[in-house]
Amino acid sequence: MHIMEGFLPIEHAVGWAVASMPFVAYGIGSIKKQIDANPEQRMLLGVAAAFTFVLSALKLPSVTGSCSHPTGTGLGALLFGPAAMAPIGLVVLLFQALLLAHGGLTTLGANLFSMAIVGPFAAAALFRLARRLTLSFAVSVFIAASVADLLTYVTTSAQLAWAFPDPTGGFVTSFAKFAGIFAITQIPLAISEGLLTVVIFNALARFNPQELKDMNVVRPPELRA
Amino acid sequence: MLIEQCAYANRWRRVSPAAKALFALCGLVASFAAGTPLVALAVVCLLTAVTWIGAGVPVGRYLRVAAPAFFFLATSCLSLAFSLGSDAQSGALSLHLTPTGLQNVADVSARSLGALASLLFLVLTTPLIDLIALLRRLKTPEVLLEIMVLCYRMLFVFSEAMHDTVRAQSARLGYATPRLSLRSLGGLAANLTVQVWQRAHDLHIAAQARNSDGPLRFLEPTFANAGLDSALAAASGGLLIALAVVLS
Repeated sequence: MHIMEGFLPIEHAVGWAVASMPFVAYGIGSIKKQIDANPEQRMLLGVAAAFTFVLSALKLPSVTGSCSHPTGTGLGALLFGPAAMAPIGLVVLLFQALLLAHGGLTTLGANLFSMAIVGPFAAAALFRLARRLTLSFAVSVFIAASVADLLTYVTTSAQLAWAFPDPTGGFVTSFAKFAGIFAITQIPLAISEGLLTVVIFNALARFNPQELKDMNVVRPPELRA
Repeated sequence: MLIEQCAYANRWRRVSPAAKALFALCGLVASFAAGTPLVALAVVCLLTAVTWIGAGVPVGRYLRVAAPAFFFLATSCLSLAFSLGSDAQSGALSLHLTPTGLQNVADVSARSLGALASLLFLVLTTPLIDLIALLRRLKTPEVLLEIMVLCYRMLFVFSEAMHDTVRAQSARLGYATPRLSLRSLGGLAANLTVQVWQRAHDLHIAAQARNSDGPLRFLEPTFANAGLDSALAAASGGLLIALAVVLS
Protein backbone atom coordinates (compact mmCIF):
# COMPACT_ATOMS: atom_id res chain seq x y z
CA MET A 1 0.00 0.00 0.00
CA HIS A 2 1.83 3.08 -1.21
CA ILE A 3 0.79 6.65 -0.43
CA MET A 4 0.71 8.45 -3.77
CA GLU A 5 2.80 11.41 -4.85
CA GLY A 6 1.80 14.74 -3.30
CA PHE A 7 -0.90 13.25 -1.07
CA LEU A 8 0.70 14.16 2.26
CA PRO A 9 1.04 17.79 3.37
CA ILE A 10 4.58 19.12 3.13
CA GLU A 11 5.29 19.00 6.91
CA HIS A 12 4.32 15.32 7.06
CA ALA A 13 6.29 14.43 3.94
CA VAL A 14 9.43 16.06 5.34
CA GLY A 15 8.80 14.70 8.83
CA TRP A 16 8.57 11.08 7.70
CA ALA A 17 11.66 11.49 5.52
CA VAL A 18 13.59 12.78 8.55
CA ALA A 19 12.24 9.92 10.69
CA SER A 20 13.40 7.32 8.15
CA MET A 21 16.86 8.84 7.71
CA PRO A 22 18.57 7.32 10.80
CA PHE A 23 17.39 3.83 9.84
CA VAL A 24 18.74 4.20 6.31
CA ALA A 25 22.03 5.61 7.64
CA TYR A 26 22.31 2.73 10.11
CA GLY A 27 21.50 0.26 7.33
CA ILE A 28 24.14 1.75 5.02
CA GLY A 29 26.68 1.60 7.85
CA SER A 30 25.93 -2.06 8.54
CA ILE A 31 26.06 -2.88 4.82
CA LYS A 32 29.47 -1.19 4.51
CA LYS A 33 30.75 -3.29 7.39
CA GLN A 34 29.39 -6.45 5.77
CA ILE A 35 31.01 -5.58 2.43
CA ASP A 36 34.39 -5.00 4.08
CA ALA A 37 34.19 -8.38 5.79
CA ASN A 38 32.79 -10.22 2.80
CA PRO A 39 33.14 -8.53 -0.65
CA GLU A 40 30.58 -10.87 -2.19
CA GLN A 41 27.84 -9.00 -0.27
CA ARG A 42 28.29 -6.03 -2.63
CA MET A 43 26.66 -7.92 -5.48
CA LEU A 44 24.21 -9.74 -3.23
CA LEU A 45 22.42 -6.56 -2.08
CA GLY A 46 21.85 -5.24 -5.60
CA VAL A 47 20.56 -8.61 -6.72
CA ALA A 48 18.34 -8.82 -3.64
CA ALA A 49 16.85 -5.39 -4.42
CA ALA A 50 16.03 -6.50 -7.97
CA PHE A 51 14.45 -9.67 -6.57
CA THR A 52 12.28 -7.64 -4.18
CA PHE A 53 11.21 -5.35 -7.02
CA VAL A 54 10.26 -8.25 -9.28
CA LEU A 55 8.47 -10.03 -6.42
CA SER A 56 6.26 -6.97 -5.92
CA ALA A 57 5.08 -7.34 -9.52
CA LEU A 58 3.60 -10.80 -8.79
CA LYS A 59 -0.17 -11.03 -8.52
CA LEU A 60 -1.45 -12.81 -5.41
CA PRO A 61 -4.80 -14.60 -5.49
CA SER A 62 -6.93 -13.09 -2.75
CA VAL A 63 -10.21 -14.18 -1.18
CA THR A 64 -12.27 -11.06 -1.95
CA GLY A 65 -11.45 -11.29 -5.62
CA SER A 66 -9.20 -8.29 -5.54
CA CYS A 67 -5.77 -9.10 -6.88
CA SER A 68 -2.87 -7.51 -5.14
CA HIS A 69 0.86 -7.93 -4.83
CA PRO A 70 2.93 -9.23 -1.91
CA THR A 71 5.05 -6.66 -0.07
CA GLY A 72 7.89 -9.11 0.48
CA THR A 73 8.90 -7.25 3.64
CA GLY A 74 8.59 -10.36 5.80
CA LEU A 75 10.51 -12.58 3.40
CA GLY A 76 13.25 -9.97 2.95
CA ALA A 77 13.62 -9.37 6.67
CA LEU A 78 13.97 -13.11 7.38
CA LEU A 79 16.49 -13.62 4.56
CA PHE A 80 18.64 -10.48 4.74
CA GLY A 81 18.00 -9.12 8.24
CA PRO A 82 15.87 -6.07 9.12
CA ALA A 83 18.74 -3.51 9.11
CA ALA A 84 19.66 -4.19 5.48
CA MET A 85 16.03 -3.83 4.42
CA ALA A 86 15.96 -0.02 4.92
CA PRO A 87 18.49 0.80 2.14
CA ILE A 88 17.17 -2.03 -0.08
CA GLY A 89 13.63 -0.77 0.52
CA LEU A 90 14.71 2.78 -0.32
CA VAL A 91 16.05 1.66 -3.69
CA VAL A 92 13.01 -0.52 -4.42
CA LEU A 93 10.53 2.23 -3.50
CA LEU A 94 12.49 4.79 -5.52
CA PHE A 95 12.44 2.44 -8.52
CA GLN A 96 8.72 1.83 -8.09
CA ALA A 97 8.16 5.59 -8.18
CA LEU A 98 10.47 6.15 -11.14
CA LEU A 99 9.65 3.08 -13.24
CA LEU A 100 6.01 2.41 -12.39
CA ALA A 101 4.75 5.79 -11.05
CA HIS A 102 3.71 3.80 -7.95
CA GLY A 103 4.23 5.81 -4.76
CA GLY A 104 6.16 9.03 -5.17
CA LEU A 105 9.18 11.15 -4.40
CA THR A 106 7.56 13.41 -1.78
CA THR A 107 5.98 10.43 -0.01
CA LEU A 108 9.12 8.30 -0.22
CA GLY A 109 9.91 8.90 3.46
CA ALA A 110 6.45 7.90 4.69
CA ASN A 111 6.29 4.80 2.48
CA LEU A 112 9.82 3.83 3.48
CA PHE A 113 8.89 4.06 7.15
CA SER A 114 5.87 1.78 6.82
CA MET A 115 7.21 -0.75 4.31
CA ALA A 116 10.96 -0.95 4.88
CA ILE A 117 11.28 -0.10 8.59
CA VAL A 118 8.13 -1.07 10.55
CA GLY A 119 7.39 -4.22 8.48
CA PRO A 120 10.85 -5.82 8.49
CA PHE A 121 11.64 -5.05 12.15
CA ALA A 122 8.24 -6.42 13.20
CA ALA A 123 8.78 -9.55 11.09
CA ALA A 124 12.23 -10.21 12.52
CA ALA A 125 11.11 -9.62 16.12
CA LEU A 126 7.98 -11.77 15.76
CA PHE A 127 9.93 -14.58 14.13
CA ARG A 128 12.43 -14.58 16.98
CA LEU A 129 9.65 -14.44 19.58
CA ALA A 130 7.69 -17.26 17.93
CA ARG A 131 10.78 -19.46 17.78
CA ARG A 132 11.48 -18.76 21.45
CA LEU A 133 7.93 -19.86 22.26
CA THR A 134 8.87 -23.11 20.46
CA LEU A 135 6.22 -22.69 17.78
CA SER A 136 6.91 -24.72 14.64
CA PHE A 137 9.01 -23.18 11.88
CA ALA A 138 6.07 -22.88 9.46
CA VAL A 139 3.82 -21.19 12.04
CA SER A 140 6.59 -18.73 12.97
CA VAL A 141 7.15 -17.80 9.34
CA PHE A 142 3.41 -17.38 8.79
CA ILE A 143 3.00 -15.13 11.83
CA ALA A 144 6.06 -13.05 10.95
CA ALA A 145 5.08 -12.50 7.31
CA SER A 146 1.36 -11.88 7.75
CA VAL A 147 1.67 -9.64 10.81
CA ALA A 148 4.46 -7.65 9.13
CA ASP A 149 2.15 -7.12 6.16
CA LEU A 150 -0.72 -6.07 8.46
CA LEU A 151 1.46 -3.71 10.49
CA THR A 152 2.68 -2.08 7.28
CA TYR A 153 -0.87 -1.25 6.35
CA VAL A 154 -1.81 -0.16 9.88
CA THR A 155 1.18 2.21 9.78
CA THR A 156 0.04 3.60 6.42
CA SER A 157 -3.48 4.14 7.80
CA ALA A 158 -2.04 5.88 10.86
CA GLN A 159 0.13 8.11 8.66
CA LEU A 160 -2.90 9.10 6.58
CA ALA A 161 -5.08 9.60 9.67
CA TRP A 162 -2.45 11.80 11.29
CA ALA A 163 -2.20 13.93 8.15
CA PHE A 164 -5.99 14.14 7.66
CA PRO A 165 -7.79 13.94 11.04
CA ASP A 166 -11.56 13.71 10.84
CA PRO A 167 -13.29 17.11 11.30
CA THR A 168 -15.60 15.69 13.98
CA GLY A 169 -13.86 12.62 15.42
CA GLY A 170 -10.18 13.53 15.00
CA PHE A 171 -7.36 11.04 14.59
CA VAL A 172 -9.19 7.95 15.90
CA THR A 173 -12.21 8.25 13.59
CA SER A 174 -10.03 9.05 10.63
CA PHE A 175 -7.81 6.06 11.40
CA ALA A 176 -10.89 3.82 11.59
CA LYS A 177 -12.03 5.08 8.18
CA PHE A 178 -8.72 4.56 6.41
CA ALA A 179 -8.07 1.22 8.11
CA GLY A 180 -11.63 0.10 7.31
CA ILE A 181 -11.30 0.86 3.61
CA PHE A 182 -7.91 -0.80 3.27
CA ALA A 183 -8.94 -3.80 5.41
CA ILE A 184 -11.14 -5.12 2.58
CA THR A 185 -8.07 -5.80 0.48
CA GLN A 186 -5.32 -5.96 3.06
CA ILE A 187 -6.53 -8.61 5.53
CA PRO A 188 -7.00 -11.36 2.91
CA LEU A 189 -3.76 -10.17 1.35
CA ALA A 190 -1.87 -10.51 4.64
CA ILE A 191 -3.13 -14.07 4.99
CA SER A 192 -2.16 -14.90 1.39
CA GLU A 193 1.24 -13.36 1.92
CA GLY A 194 1.78 -15.37 5.10
CA LEU A 195 0.82 -18.60 3.32
CA LEU A 196 2.99 -17.72 0.32
CA THR A 197 6.02 -17.06 2.52
CA VAL A 198 5.54 -20.43 4.24
CA VAL A 199 5.29 -22.17 0.84
CA ILE A 200 8.49 -20.39 -0.27
CA PHE A 201 10.39 -21.52 2.83
CA ASN A 202 9.05 -25.07 2.48
CA ALA A 203 10.22 -25.20 -1.15
CA LEU A 204 13.61 -23.78 -0.14
CA ALA A 205 13.97 -26.29 2.69
CA ARG A 206 13.11 -29.14 0.37
CA PHE A 207 15.26 -28.26 -2.62
CA ASN A 208 17.97 -25.95 -1.29
CA PRO A 209 18.69 -26.79 2.34
CA GLN A 210 22.32 -25.69 2.00
CA GLU A 211 21.44 -22.14 0.92
CA LEU A 212 18.91 -21.81 3.71
CA LYS A 213 21.50 -22.95 6.23
CA ASP A 214 24.02 -20.42 4.87
CA MET A 215 21.44 -17.67 5.43
CA ASN A 216 21.20 -18.63 9.13
CA VAL A 217 17.42 -18.79 8.97
CA VAL A 218 17.03 -22.32 10.29
CA ARG A 219 19.14 -24.69 12.27
CA PRO A 220 20.09 -27.92 10.47
CA PRO A 221 17.82 -30.47 12.23
CA GLU A 222 14.66 -28.62 11.16
CA LEU A 223 15.42 -29.15 7.50
CA ARG A 224 14.60 -32.83 7.62
CA ALA A 225 10.89 -32.12 7.96
CA MET B 1 7.61 -1.26 -18.95
CA LEU B 2 5.65 1.65 -20.40
CA ILE B 3 7.62 4.36 -18.61
CA GLU B 4 10.92 2.97 -19.88
CA GLN B 5 9.70 3.05 -23.48
CA CYS B 6 8.71 6.71 -23.22
CA ALA B 7 11.88 7.67 -21.33
CA TYR B 8 14.10 6.37 -24.12
CA ALA B 9 11.95 7.44 -27.08
CA ASN B 10 10.78 10.96 -26.30
CA ARG B 11 11.84 14.21 -27.95
CA TRP B 12 13.77 15.44 -24.91
CA ARG B 13 15.90 12.35 -24.43
CA ARG B 14 19.11 14.35 -25.09
CA VAL B 15 18.23 17.29 -22.86
CA SER B 16 20.39 17.40 -19.73
CA PRO B 17 18.78 15.36 -16.89
CA ALA B 18 19.72 18.10 -14.41
CA ALA B 19 17.54 20.55 -16.33
CA LYS B 20 14.59 18.14 -16.47
CA ALA B 21 14.92 17.32 -12.76
CA LEU B 22 15.07 21.05 -11.94
CA PHE B 23 11.87 21.69 -13.90
CA ALA B 24 10.13 18.74 -12.22
CA LEU B 25 11.23 20.05 -8.81
CA CYS B 26 9.78 23.47 -9.68
CA GLY B 27 6.55 21.69 -10.68
CA LEU B 28 6.45 19.98 -7.26
CA VAL B 29 7.06 23.26 -5.45
CA ALA B 30 4.39 24.98 -7.55
CA SER B 31 1.78 22.29 -6.76
CA PHE B 32 2.49 22.59 -3.04
CA ALA B 33 2.59 26.39 -3.22
CA ALA B 34 -0.72 26.71 -5.09
CA GLY B 35 -3.28 28.15 -2.64
CA THR B 36 -6.52 27.04 -4.31
CA PRO B 37 -7.47 23.81 -6.13
CA LEU B 38 -8.09 25.74 -9.36
CA VAL B 39 -4.56 27.12 -9.42
CA ALA B 40 -3.16 23.65 -8.68
CA LEU B 41 -5.22 22.27 -11.58
CA ALA B 42 -3.77 24.99 -13.82
CA VAL B 43 -0.29 23.78 -12.81
CA VAL B 44 -1.38 20.21 -13.67
CA CYS B 45 -2.56 21.34 -17.12
CA LEU B 46 0.68 23.23 -17.83
CA LEU B 47 2.84 20.27 -16.74
CA THR B 48 0.90 17.71 -18.78
CA ALA B 49 0.90 20.05 -21.79
CA VAL B 50 4.68 20.35 -21.55
CA THR B 51 4.97 16.54 -21.36
CA TRP B 52 2.55 15.89 -24.23
CA ILE B 53 3.47 18.69 -26.60
CA GLY B 54 7.03 19.52 -25.61
CA ALA B 55 8.46 16.05 -25.00
CA GLY B 56 6.01 14.35 -27.38
CA VAL B 57 4.81 11.64 -25.00
CA PRO B 58 1.70 9.92 -26.46
CA VAL B 59 -1.48 10.86 -24.56
CA GLY B 60 -2.85 7.31 -24.33
CA ARG B 61 0.36 5.95 -22.88
CA TYR B 62 0.55 8.84 -20.41
CA LEU B 63 -2.93 8.09 -19.11
CA ARG B 64 -2.24 4.36 -18.84
CA VAL B 65 0.84 5.07 -16.72
CA ALA B 66 -1.16 7.40 -14.46
CA ALA B 67 -4.20 5.08 -14.08
CA PRO B 68 -3.10 3.11 -10.96
CA ALA B 69 -2.30 6.36 -9.14
CA PHE B 70 -5.78 7.67 -9.96
CA PHE B 71 -7.28 4.56 -8.39
CA PHE B 72 -5.41 5.12 -5.12
CA LEU B 73 -6.37 8.79 -5.14
CA ALA B 74 -10.05 7.86 -5.59
CA THR B 75 -10.13 5.38 -2.68
CA SER B 76 -8.29 7.74 -0.34
CA CYS B 77 -10.50 10.70 -1.26
CA LEU B 78 -13.55 8.59 -0.50
CA SER B 79 -12.50 8.34 3.12
CA LEU B 80 -11.63 12.05 3.27
CA ALA B 81 -15.01 13.14 1.93
CA PHE B 82 -17.13 11.15 4.37
CA SER B 83 -17.09 11.72 8.07
CA LEU B 84 -17.91 8.96 10.52
CA GLY B 85 -20.15 10.20 13.32
CA SER B 86 -22.53 8.74 15.83
CA ASP B 87 -26.17 9.81 15.76
CA ALA B 88 -27.13 11.99 18.73
CA GLN B 89 -30.43 10.21 19.45
CA SER B 90 -29.93 6.57 18.56
CA GLY B 91 -26.16 6.44 19.02
CA ALA B 92 -25.80 4.49 15.78
CA LEU B 93 -22.79 5.11 13.58
CA SER B 94 -23.52 7.07 10.43
CA LEU B 95 -21.59 8.28 7.42
CA HIS B 96 -22.18 11.81 6.21
CA LEU B 97 -20.67 14.22 3.73
CA THR B 98 -19.19 17.36 5.26
CA PRO B 99 -18.44 20.65 3.49
CA THR B 100 -14.98 20.82 5.08
CA GLY B 101 -14.41 17.24 3.92
CA LEU B 102 -15.21 18.12 0.32
CA GLN B 103 -12.99 21.21 0.49
CA ASN B 104 -10.24 18.97 1.84
CA VAL B 105 -10.72 16.48 -1.01
CA ALA B 106 -10.47 19.23 -3.62
CA ASP B 107 -7.29 20.65 -2.06
CA VAL B 108 -5.56 17.31 -1.62
CA SER B 109 -6.46 15.79 -4.96
CA ALA B 110 -5.47 18.92 -6.91
CA ARG B 111 -2.14 19.09 -5.10
CA SER B 112 -1.62 15.36 -5.56
CA LEU B 113 -2.35 15.55 -9.28
CA GLY B 114 0.12 18.41 -9.62
CA ALA B 115 2.85 16.42 -7.88
CA LEU B 116 1.99 13.34 -9.98
CA ALA B 117 2.24 15.41 -13.18
CA SER B 118 5.70 16.63 -12.10
CA LEU B 119 6.84 13.09 -11.33
CA LEU B 120 5.48 11.81 -14.64
CA PHE B 121 7.19 14.64 -16.52
CA LEU B 122 10.52 13.59 -15.04
CA VAL B 123 10.23 9.83 -15.43
CA LEU B 124 8.67 9.88 -18.90
CA THR B 125 11.46 12.06 -20.31
CA THR B 126 14.51 10.76 -18.43
CA PRO B 127 15.82 7.18 -18.44
CA LEU B 128 16.69 5.78 -15.02
CA ILE B 129 20.37 5.47 -15.91
CA ASP B 130 20.55 9.28 -16.42
CA LEU B 131 18.81 9.84 -13.09
CA ILE B 132 21.31 7.58 -11.33
CA ALA B 133 24.16 9.58 -12.92
CA LEU B 134 22.47 12.74 -11.64
CA LEU B 135 22.22 11.26 -8.12
CA ARG B 136 25.93 10.43 -8.32
CA ARG B 137 26.71 14.08 -9.06
CA LEU B 138 24.51 15.04 -6.08
CA LYS B 139 26.83 12.99 -3.81
CA THR B 140 24.47 10.14 -2.93
CA PRO B 141 26.23 7.48 -0.80
CA GLU B 142 28.23 5.14 -3.03
CA VAL B 143 26.63 2.01 -1.48
CA LEU B 144 23.13 3.15 -2.48
CA LEU B 145 24.25 3.95 -6.03
CA GLU B 146 25.80 0.50 -6.40
CA ILE B 147 22.60 -1.16 -5.20
CA MET B 148 20.66 0.97 -7.72
CA VAL B 149 22.89 0.14 -10.69
CA LEU B 150 22.93 -3.59 -9.92
CA CYS B 151 19.22 -3.58 -9.19
CA TYR B 152 18.45 -1.89 -12.50
CA ARG B 153 20.59 -4.39 -14.38
CA MET B 154 19.24 -7.47 -12.60
CA LEU B 155 15.63 -6.31 -12.80
CA PHE B 156 15.33 -7.36 -16.41
CA VAL B 157 17.19 -10.62 -15.82
CA PHE B 158 14.79 -11.52 -13.02
CA SER B 159 11.65 -10.41 -14.79
CA GLU B 160 12.64 -12.57 -17.78
CA ALA B 161 13.25 -15.54 -15.51
CA MET B 162 9.92 -14.87 -13.82
CA HIS B 163 7.97 -14.67 -17.08
CA ASP B 164 9.56 -17.87 -18.37
CA THR B 165 8.70 -19.72 -15.17
CA VAL B 166 5.13 -18.39 -15.09
CA ARG B 167 4.62 -19.45 -18.72
CA ALA B 168 5.97 -22.94 -18.03
CA GLN B 169 3.84 -23.25 -14.90
CA SER B 170 0.63 -22.07 -16.56
CA ALA B 171 1.25 -24.39 -19.51
CA ARG B 172 1.09 -27.19 -16.91
CA LEU B 173 -2.14 -25.73 -15.41
CA GLY B 174 -0.23 -24.36 -12.43
CA TYR B 175 -2.63 -21.43 -12.05
CA ALA B 176 -5.88 -23.33 -12.64
CA THR B 177 -7.23 -22.94 -9.09
CA PRO B 178 -6.40 -20.50 -6.27
CA ARG B 179 -4.82 -23.31 -4.27
CA LEU B 180 -2.61 -24.33 -7.19
CA SER B 181 -1.69 -20.69 -7.87
CA LEU B 182 -0.47 -20.24 -4.32
CA ARG B 183 1.63 -23.39 -4.65
CA SER B 184 3.01 -22.32 -8.03
CA LEU B 185 3.77 -18.82 -6.79
CA GLY B 186 5.59 -20.33 -3.81
CA GLY B 187 7.67 -22.53 -6.08
CA LEU B 188 8.40 -19.61 -8.38
CA ALA B 189 9.48 -17.30 -5.56
CA ALA B 190 11.57 -20.03 -3.92
CA ASN B 191 13.30 -20.71 -7.22
CA LEU B 192 14.02 -17.00 -7.70
CA THR B 193 15.28 -16.72 -4.11
CA VAL B 194 17.94 -19.33 -4.77
CA GLN B 195 18.87 -17.51 -7.98
CA VAL B 196 19.59 -14.38 -5.88
CA TRP B 197 22.61 -16.10 -4.33
CA GLN B 198 23.70 -17.88 -7.48
CA ARG B 199 23.57 -14.77 -9.66
CA ALA B 200 25.27 -12.60 -7.02
CA HIS B 201 28.03 -15.19 -6.78
CA ASP B 202 28.42 -15.27 -10.58
CA LEU B 203 28.62 -11.46 -10.72
CA HIS B 204 31.26 -11.49 -7.99
CA ILE B 205 33.37 -14.07 -9.87
CA ALA B 206 32.97 -12.09 -13.11
CA ALA B 207 34.07 -8.87 -11.39
CA GLN B 208 37.08 -10.58 -9.81
CA ALA B 209 38.08 -12.08 -13.14
CA ARG B 210 38.28 -8.48 -14.43
CA ASN B 211 40.57 -7.36 -11.60
CA SER B 212 37.84 -5.74 -9.52
CA ASP B 213 39.25 -3.94 -6.48
CA GLY B 214 35.90 -3.17 -4.91
CA PRO B 215 33.82 -0.20 -6.03
CA LEU B 216 32.07 -0.25 -9.40
CA ARG B 217 33.05 2.64 -11.70
CA PHE B 218 31.01 4.18 -14.49
CA LEU B 219 31.43 6.52 -17.42
CA GLU B 220 29.34 9.66 -17.07
CA PRO B 221 27.03 10.32 -20.00
CA THR B 222 27.67 13.79 -21.47
CA PHE B 223 25.00 16.21 -22.63
CA ALA B 224 25.62 19.07 -25.05
CA ASN B 225 24.04 22.42 -24.09
CA ALA B 226 23.63 21.34 -20.45
CA GLY B 227 24.11 24.95 -19.28
CA LEU B 228 21.54 26.39 -21.66
CA ASP B 229 19.05 23.60 -20.82
CA SER B 230 19.39 24.27 -17.11
CA ALA B 231 18.98 28.02 -17.56
CA LEU B 232 15.81 27.48 -19.61
CA ALA B 233 14.45 24.99 -17.08
CA ALA B 234 15.19 27.35 -14.18
CA ALA B 235 13.49 30.24 -15.98
CA SER B 236 10.35 28.28 -16.95
CA GLY B 237 10.20 26.53 -13.57
CA GLY B 238 10.52 29.87 -11.78
CA LEU B 239 7.73 31.24 -13.94
CA LEU B 240 5.53 28.27 -12.99
CA ILE B 241 6.11 28.83 -9.27
CA ALA B 242 5.54 32.57 -9.64
CA LEU B 243 2.29 31.88 -11.49
CA ALA B 244 1.09 29.51 -8.76
CA VAL B 245 1.91 32.01 -6.01
CA VAL B 246 0.53 35.11 -7.74
CA LEU B 247 -2.75 33.52 -8.90
CA SER B 248 -3.71 32.09 -5.51
